[in-house]
Amino acid sequence: MQVTSRESIVSKNPLMEAKDVSAGYGTCGVLKDISVRVEAGERWAVIGRNGAGKSTLIKVLAALLEPSAGTVLLGPKPLREYGARARARAMAYVPQKPEAVIPYSVHDFVMLGRYACMGLFGTPAPADHEAVAQALAFCDVRELGDRMMTTLSGGELQRVLLAGALAQDAPILLLDEPTTFLDPAHERYFFRALQSAREHKELTVVMVTHDVNTALSSCTHVLALLDGRVRYAGDARAFKEQCPRVLDALYGIGFAQYANDDGVVMYGTWEHGP
Amino acid sequence: MSGPRHVYRVLGIGAVAMAVTMVCPFLGIRYMTIRAVLESQELRYIFCTIRIPRTLAAFVAGGGLALAGMVYQALFRNPLASPYTLGVSGGASLGAALCIALGAGGSMAGFSMVSMGSFAGAVGAVVLVYTFAWSRESNSITLLLAGVVVATVCSGLIMFIHYLSPLRHSFQIMRWIMGGVDGATYAFLAVMAVPVMLYAGVCAAFMPQLDQFLTGDSLAHSRGVAVRRSRNMFIVVTALAVGAIVSACGPIGFVGIMAPHACRLMLGGARHRVLGVCSFLLGGAFLVVSDTLARTLAPPSEIPVGILTALFGGPFFLAILFRRKGRLQF
Repeated sequence: MQVTSRESIVSKNPLMEAKDVSAGYGTCGVLKDISVRVEAGERWAVIGRNGAGKSTLIKVLAALLEPSAGTVLLGPKPLREYGARARARAMAYVPQKPEAVIPYSVHDFVMLGRYACMGLFGTPAPADHEAVAQALAFCDVRELGDRMMTTLSGGELQRVLLAGALAQDAPILLLDEPTTFLDPAHERYFFRALQSAREHKELTVVMVTHDVNTALSSCTHVLALLDGRVRYAGDARAFKEQCPRVLDALYGIGFAQYANDDGVVMYGTWEHGP
Repeated sequence: MSGPRHVYRVLGIGAVAMAVTMVCPFLGIRYMTIRAVLESQELRYIFCTIRIPRTLAAFVAGGGLALAGMVYQALFRNPLASPYTLGVSGGASLGAALCIALGAGGSMAGFSMVSMGSFAGAVGAVVLVYTFAWSRESNSITLLLAGVVVATVCSGLIMFIHYLSPLRHSFQIMRWIMGGVDGATYAFLAVMAVPVMLYAGVCAAFMPQLDQFLTGDSLAHSRGVAVRRSRNMFIVVTALAVGAIVSACGPIGFVGIMAPHACRLMLGGARHRVLGVCSFLLGGAFLVVSDTLARTLAPPSEIPVGILTALFGGPFFLAILFRRKGRLQF
């Protein structure tokens, strides 16, 4: 039943589209005329310097911030016409870190992700328990189920946050620098969790990241922002061919690349870009 | 977990609350036995028309305040929030003080002028804060600050009225602000119980949203809560319920902030559905006990119950806090 509802959204391409979106905070404009089409099943990396508008864009897409101009389409109709629950069934969001760590058990916290699927009184049905169990398994946090959220490490917390978003069972997943505060190992675990979720259900992912190599290796598309405008939007492979030159322009420092077993790796250098 | 692990504790709190509410009407300056109540017409009169409505009024007021405190604490993610945080009690007290100072005695349609004035004051305070909540990009912090400002201005005005009033009025104002359920009748009980029960019903329906609020506004939003609308709804219904309680009983302190925390400590990690029920029961039972002490400790006079809630509630709360090694998880 959930599968059919997802398919009905998926069939309406593009899944999500920003049309000439401008947005900012108060009088301070951050995004200018952003247009991007996200089709079902694509994985987008949003890259750019600090302050380029990456997080602002993800907030606009998540309906956390109302654009000052332009529209965001979710499936057939504008995002702002969705009710809160309907929107939550279409897309889930993972922040950089939890705003507050609450003294709930991991299981109960992940169950909070089922809110939009439950009735008024919030009594979990078997389907809800199943979705939670599945999300915990994807994120490899099943054995943490009874632990309190307050006792988790940053890396575990972030995977539990992902599990909560996956439990929401939405076809779109928005991630705002989800691994910024994680060590390399936990970063790996996080992406492995995301990978195993993608293997089991079709997910469209839009992820803000600072890690160019993660962006290039795990995403199908790249959206590069420079000073609030789109510098590049499209296929990740085509983007790779323009590397490292395009990265120089994007970040304002020189980039070098070298090849290893996994492919080509980029790293920033002290040389100034163009 | 709100699962089986908590069931015994919840049942325990419920049993204690029920026992307390059943025993306390028999206690008083005159201790009564069930047989005495059944046999003596005089005692039966005291028991049925004075002690029962008073006990029930204390229970409803305490329960309502505790529930309201829990809602505000979750809504603002602030352990210091209380039912009076948004200035409801300030407005109510100001309304009452004005009525007393202007000599507006008597009653209309069974309600005393003072309690009507205080309800008007409470509504006024809420309208003020609520307008503020809608009028700008308000978040929890600006709302809290607006509430603090309203409360402070009200208390300044009350002090001014105090200062201008003759001693008799000044004492009346003071006594009103200490709060109490003395003189409760069935009509008094109904005026309070109906809004509180409606409030409890609304809360029961929307409890899952409070769980979401605790995780932060943006996560709650992404999970499908209409954050602003839901927060404003909770603010208004809570403020109305608190207004109804306060205009009947005065701003009885402490129970609203203490009972939810005591429940959180006893039921670590419980969802708000469970927490709400327990807070209501514990807050109610606590005020019933406090009121029973208020009318028995210093016969034949009565101690204002607000003094007792602070004096006995404080140590009780500290005891729980220490037993849990002071880790107040919120």
